Amino acid sequence: MKVASVLRLTAVVLLVLFIAMPQAFAFLFEPLTDNRAPAIYNQGSLLFLTLQHLRTVALATLASTVLAVALGIFVTRPSGAEFLPLSRSLVNIGQTFPPIAVLAIAVPLVGFGEKPTFIALFLYGLLPIFENTLTGLTQVSPQTLEAARGMGMNARQRLFQVELPLAFPVILAGIRLSVIISLGTATIGSTVAAKGLGEVIIAGLQSNNIAFVLQGGLVVALLAILIHDGLGLIERFAARKLGRSTDEVP
Amino acid sequence: MLPPRPAFSLDRLGSVIAILIGIALFAAPFATYRATRIASGEARLLIEALPISMGAVVAAVALGVAVGSVLVREPLGRLGLAVIGLAILLPSLGLSAGFLTPAGNSFARVSPSLGFWLLALSFSLLAIDAFARMKLDPYGRLAALAAGVSALAFLLVSGIWDDLSILKEYHTRADSFWREARQHLLLAFGSMAAACLVGIPLGIAGHRMRTLRTAVLQGLSIVQTIPSIALFGLLMAPLGAIAASVPLAAALGIRGIGATPAFIALFLYALLPIVANTIAGLNQVPAAVVDAARGMGMSARQRLMQIEMPLALPVILAGIRIVLVQNLGLATVAALIGGGGFGSFVFQGIGQTAIDLVLLGAIPTVGLSFAASIILDSLVDIAKGALA
Amino acid sequence: MIEIDHLTKRYGATTVVDDVSFQVEEGTITVVVGTSGAGKSTLLRMINRLVEPTAGRVLIDGEDTRSIPEDELRHRIGYVIQGYGLFPHRTVAANIATVPRLLGWDRKKIAQRVEELLDLFQLDPAEFAQKFPHELSGGQQQRVGVARALAARPALLLMDEPFGALDAVIRSKAQDDLLAIQRRLGTTIVLVTHDMNEAFHLGDRIAVMDQARLLQHATPAELLMHPADEFVERLVGTAERPFRLLTLTKVQDALEPGSAEGEPITASESLHDALSRLMWSGRKALPVADASGAIIGKVSVGGILGHGRPLP
Ligand SMILES: Nc1ncnc2c1ncn2[C@@H]1O[C@H](COP(=O)(O)OP(=O)(O)OP(=O)(O)O)[C@@H](O)[C@H]1O
Ligand SMILES: [Mg+2]
Repeated sequence: MKVASVLRLTAVVLLVLFIAMPQAFAFLFEPLTDNRAPAIYNQGSLLFLTLQHLRTVALATLASTVLAVALGIFVTRPSGAEFLPLSRSLVNIGQTFPPIAVLAIAVPLVGFGEKPTFIALFLYGLLPIFENTLTGLTQVSPQTLEAARGMGMNARQRLFQVELPLAFPVILAGIRLSVIISLGTATIGSTVAAKGLGEVIIAGLQSNNIAFVLQGGLVVALLAILIHDGLGLIERFAARKLGRSTDEVP
Repeated sequence: MLPPRPAFSLDRLGSVIAILIGIALFAAPFATYRATRIASGEARLLIEALPISMGAVVAAVALGVAVGSVLVREPLGRLGLAVIGLAILLPSLGLSAGFLTPAGNSFARVSPSLGFWLLALSFSLLAIDAFARMKLDPYGRLAALAAGVSALAFLLVSGIWDDLSILKEYHTRADSFWREARQHLLLAFGSMAAACLVGIPLGIAGHRMRTLRTAVLQGLSIVQTIPSIALFGLLMAPLGAIAASVPLAAALGIRGIGATPAFIALFLYALLPIVANTIAGLNQVPAAVVDAARGMGMSARQRLMQIEMPLALPVILAGIRIVLVQNLGLATVAALIGGGGFGSFVFQGIGQTAIDLVLLGAIPTVGLSFAASIILDSLVDIAKGALA
Repeated sequence: MIEIDHLTKRYGATTVVDDVSFQVEEGTITVVVGTSGAGKSTLLRMINRLVEPTAGRVLIDGEDTRSIPEDELRHRIGYVIQGYGLFPHRTVAANIATVPRLLGWDRKKIAQRVEELLDLFQLDPAEFAQKFPHELSGGQQQRVGVARALAARPALLLMDEPFGALDAVIRSKAQDDLLAIQRRLGTTIVLVTHDMNEAFHLGDRIAVMDQARLLQHATPAELLMHPADEFVERLVGTAERPFRLLTLTKVQDALEPGSAEGEPITASESLHDALSRLMWSGRKALPVADASGAIIGKVSVGGILGHGRPLP
């Protein structure tokens, strides 16, 4: 555990330093450039791009979370039960769509820029959250629900005081997956002119500047790993609070 | 007290589908006409998009399906409705394209519009819901897939759709289409095969050695979180360096750009599901079975090959399914670094704002992933059934 | 008083509970026994309307339960199920506080009540209040389950196989504890089990069900001496009958004048205990003491045996 914390901290510090003052690291990337090309991305501020990238992902994830959780709740209520088999199949089918296809199809419909990226992130982000909301809500033990009903909790109280809290860690896992996919898709979003870290990589590919490609890749990769790790910590904390379900006692 | 259930109630899903069909028929254009490939489109309603008699037939069938979807609840009946709907709708799109394209004009483009997509979506939803409720056995699902693929192949080969924009796009680049298709499949399946060759033995070793297991799984899960394009980027630098300093590597086609980094990245992504599922599959083999095999004097090798691996097969296949669907999708991104594949059309299409070109790349990708997931899901079930 | 009045439940064509009527006196324990699938749980769940009866009604102190809103009714009736259904995301204290919170009690009152119940169930509040259910043993979980059901001082407690998940030793201790608490609080209890020993141990009255029907509703002694039919007779266990009868009778009832050698037995213990002490010590008689310890007579093997058969 100690080692992991030290690694985590080092990674965060390095990432922040690099984003804030990339020029200080220029010496590392210089060997990769030729013809006196710039070693550090110079067509925009890395800090700005990072914040923009995170903003797109955060907004899209927020929107997907709200809709996906609401839909998940709806199809697990008696009034929405008719939609349950269909929605399960749709999630399975939806996941066979590569995110890039969603992105590409959105461009002709809404034009270049943030919009198609946001749409792709939003739509694709729905799937894991919806799937996990379903799993989380349907795995609440029938005994717990029976006890809740027996104590006179109405449907609303059962949902908010029992089902959602119990499904929370699983839903959180879905959100984490969604965020990670979105971070990647947002990177590709730079091909449709969305502001984000993908810009650095794409610029490097276009100008044949491996230094750009590498630094863009490093920042995106580190960001994704750290966010994945951070959300994982929250998830484990939430799951630990629940511990093992009492109903597993034989 | 619960209110008494009404004896007759409308099906909610059916009602939603009926509303979608209503919108598609009366409030959305059926096709888009463009004077040239990249000109802006003009909407054509159903009555404008087809000869009047044909338009009436499509409208009547769609309305029939709408009414039926509200009234019919049996899955088989719903599937029937969906099939009838699609059987009329899909060819009518081709007719519409022929009807809207002025004779002899090879620049004009006709593509499906919102109304068509909504109708196709409604009918598909009906079919998907029916399949979900029928709970077909794996052979049934494979047969349904085969039927769907044959119908699609017929539509493509018969020439009914030839006037459609996307097929015109295809005909002008048929050669490169098949070349990119080959490249796409090579990337996706090749990296999967390589991942199996490495991942399954690694999984077997991980199953036995706890320390190896945690290290490998943790490392691979970190790799999985790295977005594809970033991983391509990270691989380009070292590969470029190798190509520059090791002539043999360069001669073998190892370069910093192109298919090599894409292949390696896909391979790395593919390892986690395969290793993790191999370990999980071996872990769930009952200890008693292994014990019995040992008691009968089987050697470690015999136990592995004759007992453990066959019992772990369904779980390993499930891992391969994840990998295949994931790889078929990720391979599209390879085009960004010159790796080819269907992504080439997608990115070219984005660059030219030519949606047909985007679709020419996207539709086969989605189709392949979809078919692969059905086939492998069925194989998983068949393997499970063989054990049960 | 709880009146169960011609309750019937049908699912489609199958009748799961068939025209069952009986009454439960204030402050008593009624045990419903029967084979698996007899309809016991369904009957119980019709009392708090988790299952809506097809026909018939339930009256609590003369009030038809259908006139009370469902949730309100359940706030007034404690409910304990096998496995307890404790909320895994809530601490022991929060679990116990569930119904008081639903009822909107103020915080202080809730905290007080929780502490009181933890004490009552021999769970040290300092140690247990903030624990999560998965940190408890099976027996402790069971006690929390019952404490939770009693939190809002319900007039009636429904228990569906509340001891089903406990091992034999803990189970009999839990039964004794429940009995003690019930006697102290005067709670009316309807308890479902398929364990005959439990039924005889706990029940003031026993309702025997088979294939949806109520075969007999009677005191344990009546059930032993006058079983309504062959099924009840078999369920009661022909070979066990005399010993069960002895369990139900107090030493007081077989008291004889005179004195005897040995450790005295208390008058409130059962004849079953007395006989077992006699056999183990090899004596013919034991002295009997009252609650204060004063010797009031003796009990003998012959006297006990006379109580092990139905009165003519
Ligand atoms: N919701 C339902 N729909 C249809 N049948 C039901 C339903 N609930 C219970 N039953 C049937 O009613 C019968 C009685 O069930 P119940 O749970 O009351 O039995 P029980 O006496 O409690 O049995 P056990 O001792 O096994 O708990 C069973 O045959 C059961 O299958
Ligand atoms: Mg029961």
